[in-house]
Amino acid sequence: MLSWYEIAHGLIGGIFVGAAYALLSAGFSLTWGVTRVINLAHAAFALLGSYITLTLLEMAGIDPLVSIVFIVPLLFLLGLGLHYFLIKPTAKRTRDITGASMVLCFGLYIIIENLLVIMFKSDDRVLHSRYSDISLAIGPISVALTSIISLAIAAVSLVIIYFFLNRTYTGKAVRAVWQDREGAMLSGINVEGVTAITYGLSLATAGVAGLCLVLMYSVTPFIGFSWLVFVFLVAIMGGLGSILGVTVGGLIVGLIVSLGSVFIPLAYINLVLFVLLIIVLLIKPSGLFRR
Amino acid sequence: MNKKNLNILKTAIPWAVILLLFVFPFFKPDIFFLSVGVILFMYIALSSSWNIIGGYSGYMSFGHGAFFGIGAYTVALLLIEFGYSPFITCVLGGLLAAVFALIVGYPVLRLKGPYFSLATLCLGLAVPVVVINMPNELTGGATGLFMPLLPVDIFVNRTIFYEIMLALAVIATLISRWALQSKFGLGLNAIRENESTAETIGVDSTRLKITAFVLSAFLVGVIGGIFAYYRTYVHTTTVFDVNLSIMIVVMALLGGAATWQGPVLGATILIIIDQILISAFPGLPAELSRLIYGLILVLVIMFMPKGIIHFVNVWLRSRASAAGAEEVQK
Repeated sequence: MLSWYEIAHGLIGGIFVGAAYALLSAGFSLTWGVTRVINLAHAAFALLGSYITLTLLEMAGIDPLVSIVFIVPLLFLLGLGLHYFLIKPTAKRTRDITGASMVLCFGLYIIIENLLVIMFKSDDRVLHSRYSDISLAIGPISVALTSIISLAIAAVSLVIIYFFLNRTYTGKAVRAVWQDREGAMLSGINVEGVTAITYGLSLATAGVAGLCLVLMYSVTPFIGFSWLVFVFLVAIMGGLGSILGVTVGGLIVGLIVSLGSVFIPLAYINLVLFVLLIIVLLIKPSGLFRR
Repeated sequence: MNKKNLNILKTAIPWAVILLLFVFPFFKPDIFFLSVGVILFMYIALSSSWNIIGGYSGYMSFGHGAFFGIGAYTVALLLIEFGYSPFITCVLGGLLAAVFALIVGYPVLRLKGPYFSLATLCLGLAVPVVVINMPNELTGGATGLFMPLLPVDIFVNRTIFYEIMLALAVIATLISRWALQSKFGLGLNAIRENESTAETIGVDSTRLKITAFVLSAFLVGVIGGIFAYYRTYVHTTTVFDVNLSIMIVVMALLGGAATWQGPVLGATILIIIDQILISAFPGLPAELSRLIYGLILVLVIMFMPKGIIHFVNVWLRSRASAAGAEEVQK
């Protein structure tokens, strides 16, 4: 017999996981929208964030929360580099950047994954911070402090991205380029700069999402692929190109995974997710939140 | 050299190469080369088959691993349960994959661009979950299925599979070439360029897409069946490999997805690079060789984003026009 306790546990767990996946998918959705690039290496960059957190803590004793200060600028720069040194020169030579970028990013994914294996070996790594073994009681349910921190970081980051895209000039420019590249160019938007910023933002959020995920789960260099599958699920379910959609998509996927594991074996949850995704796509072929 | 001679040469050279590859095992080469050949021809065949839907029509499927696995499991079950030879039942495996493609094709092919790619990726991930959770007596569950070996020595065994895979690669390439050069391929290309415009000028896009998807799935299913017998072991992780789904896409894109030569070139180059990295430098750690592999992938696609074949064609044309200019000057 299922107890309310288990269901409530599943619900809360789903929100924690969902928020992290939502943040992870936001950047993927951004680069797709602005440049039509399917960044298969997106989750690998998130993993980079996880390993930076781990290394900073183990080598220098730097608190995981403080490591955001290192992750964000570093991955932002990497994003700029990705745009200026890899995507842009490739886009110049072809009309079909989607196809070419997939091969490019797949190569990048292989590079990052194996770089991580060389540097950190392929075994499971767990973050042992000073937040680790503390749990808080919410009513009868005890929740790990790390999960709450992860949720807070993810939520704050998503809100920041949302306000950036909707309230600031640069953010509005990003959305303008997204909707109509040539139109944006004609209205005097620096499309080049906006695209670069999008990549920076995309990888920076991926890095922070990696931090959120490493707070809750152990990581290996090979976990990037399963994260990528979730990124796909979330971004497609929510509709590519909407922060609100990504957030809701993330929560839906998180809740299904977490609640599902209360009722059915883990292997079937993926099946449920995929079938659900295909049903959603058939009813609304461009995701739940795309107009 | 005049144009007619050049054209004869253009058809003669590939057939001469194929003939040489067919007689190659009779020179008793090292068994290693035969194994590389099996894998190489398999990927050429897979990538060419994928190209019919993925390259020509632009519907990039990331779920072809599902068809491969369906073919593999069909063959394994029919051999174990009834003793039918995989060399015959592989056609059945292909048919089953085709039927599956027909069923899922109708809804999934309505999706466009990345939505299609990602839905097929999910399909490729969902099918093995179903298979592994089927009754154990049927699919072997998590242990997989073991097939009896062919009752011949290892060299003859490899030779048989080498020849069959080579034949499959040639057939798949010919079908893909036929598909491109026929009216069918013209329609698919029109769909890739602009689907709604294609429809207004009378291209029955739904029928063409489904046909291409089913044909592609059939070929991949047949190849999966032969691969299963080659490995004599079928398990969800080996035959429903997402990496395989992605690799065949990467090979076709790298070679040049809108052409029939592209997948052949892409698969050959990637498999050869892979083999060189693995076998030529035995001291090299596996991670490092993978890293170099990724690096090569990035560099090649950066400088030839339309595919290697396009790059080669442009180069040949510029040389031909330079030669033409010289002739005029004389």
